[in-house]
Amino acid sequence: MFSLKLVVGTLEIGLMYAIMVLGVYLTFRILDYADLTVEGSFTLGAATAATLIFQGYNPWLATSIAFLVGFIAGIFTGIFHTKFKITALLSGILTMTALYSINLRVMGKANVSLLKARTIFSDFEKLPGMEKYGVLVLCSLTIVILGLLVYLFLNTEIGLALRATGDNELMIRSLGVNTDIMKILGLALSNGLVAFSGSFVAQNQQFADASMGIGMIVAGLASVIIGEVLVGTSSIARAIVAVICGGVIYRIIIAIVLQLGLEATDLKLLTAVIVLIALVTPGLKSKFTAFNGGILGKGDQYANSSKSN
Amino acid sequence: MLTVQNLTKIFNKGTINEKKALDHFSLELAPGDFVTVIGSNGAGKSSMMNAVAGVFLPDCGEILIDGQNITKWPSHKRAALISRVFQDPLSGTAASMTIEENLVMALRRGESRRLRWALNVNKRDYFRNELAKLGLGLEGRLTTKVKLLSGGQRQALTLLMATLQEPKLLLLDEHTAALDPKTAEKVLELTCKVAESSKLTTLMITHNLEQALSVGNRTIMMHEGRIVLDIRGIERNNMTIGRLLEMFEKASGVHMNNDRMMLAGTR
Repeated sequence: MFSLKLVVGTLEIGLMYAIMVLGVYLTFRILDYADLTVEGSFTLGAATAATLIFQGYNPWLATSIAFLVGFIAGIFTGIFHTKFKITALLSGILTMTALYSINLRVMGKANVSLLKARTIFSDFEKLPGMEKYGVLVLCSLTIVILGLLVYLFLNTEIGLALRATGDNELMIRSLGVNTDIMKILGLALSNGLVAFSGSFVAQNQQFADASMGIGMIVAGLASVIIGEVLVGTSSIARAIVAVICGGVIYRIIIAIVLQLGLEATDLKLLTAVIVLIALVTPGLKSKFTAFNGGILGKGDQYANSSKSN
Repeated sequence: MLTVQNLTKIFNKGTINEKKALDHFSLELAPGDFVTVIGSNGAGKSSMMNAVAGVFLPDCGEILIDGQNITKWPSHKRAALISRVFQDPLSGTAASMTIEENLVMALRRGESRRLRWALNVNKRDYFRNELAKLGLGLEGRLTTKVKLLSGGQRQALTLLMATLQEPKLLLLDEHTAALDPKTAEKVLELTCKVAESSKLTTLMITHNLEQALSVGNRTIMMHEGRIVLDIRGIERNNMTIGRLLEMFEKASGVHMNNDRMMLAGTR
């Protein structure tokens, strides 16, 4: 039932989506901002990379540009929210909606095929020893490097200010940080990563489609929560490992469910259910802990209850 | 040092809820002044502090620090000159971050933040030293998340963060009011120590009249957005809590009926 090919394929996809999850983590957990831009910026990255590659540009350059356009999309959401004082959700929805039209403009049609086109994967597979698992190796390398970069960034002076912006805005403002700029920066980096992820997925499946970003935010949230529940969040490093694992595990769950005979069109329903369960479970867990009294230490209870929003 | 001239702020102007928070408020602080601010609820104490810190822009009037006009500066820019400790112990620290991370953010108050590793061995040593001075045993808990600390510990940490990078002006907004009496005393003691050793210019709001007279070198009383009493030197030394209440009633023409203040006065 589970062939090696399927397992490897699932891991590849999981690692690609994990890049997106890393982006969602930056807004959802670090900035405490539920950013719906993701739905549009994922497609934007895919559409941009696919169109550029289709027109004969270097795929590595195209992938980098995908990050850049996602970054810019995030800046827009950030400006809507901070400068025009639009609520977090609505700012994201506005950018997402605008991006739907922009993505169609970028591609010029509803989808772009990359069949037989040169992609970062076809390039990488030409390297010695990479014929068979090139995609897996490239995706693993990418996520390790990106995870490390995010970790390093979150421990810089700017990174600390970004984390404090999501934690206690009043406090970090009183320490002289322009929190508007921090939010814009966080949203930009997040959507850059999401678009980067989109460009990977498009090159791997060899097409980009105007609707490929639909449901992406819920998938991202599901992955973040699954990872946090399974791996834990006691430190930044651990949280980053957790969300990456969450992204992969989410894809594994999807693959298993598909193998069990569910239709691909049922996936969105399934994802919503996963998120619902994941969101409710920590609450149940803390109730259970409270009921059981002293079995878990006080610190554990605290950690659980503080994360169970 | 700090000059506030004719500061006026009216909230909800033109509505039924119109409230004159500051009414041509003027104040002049000399360097090293430690001024306690008292007044009944709604007298405009916090509004005055918020205006100085830049939480809102005044309708008219000017705020100057060392001759520099900061009236129109956004609050994050003023942070280079002013640091603040709030009443709520939770509001001065980032709960999900560690003690050392909170401190290192405070170390760069008012300076631009760069893309470089925030913490290093030297800074940690420095933090350990400074934390040891608090006498709360926090020096061995640099990597503890702040949310695991008690309210008093958090407020002491906030105070340290506010003074780590010496400000021109320290604003204390009832910063001991939410603590239990013993912790409050400890935090106040730390406050006096820090202000004394660095000769910080300080404004402290308090509801405790005894504290208002014993701490600092000058006391002002506010009512309806104005200063109604300003005492220092011998006049202040000879002041008693009973006479302070009396003077308040005389100056403001209002009978003092603020329970909290009365209680604080008789404690």
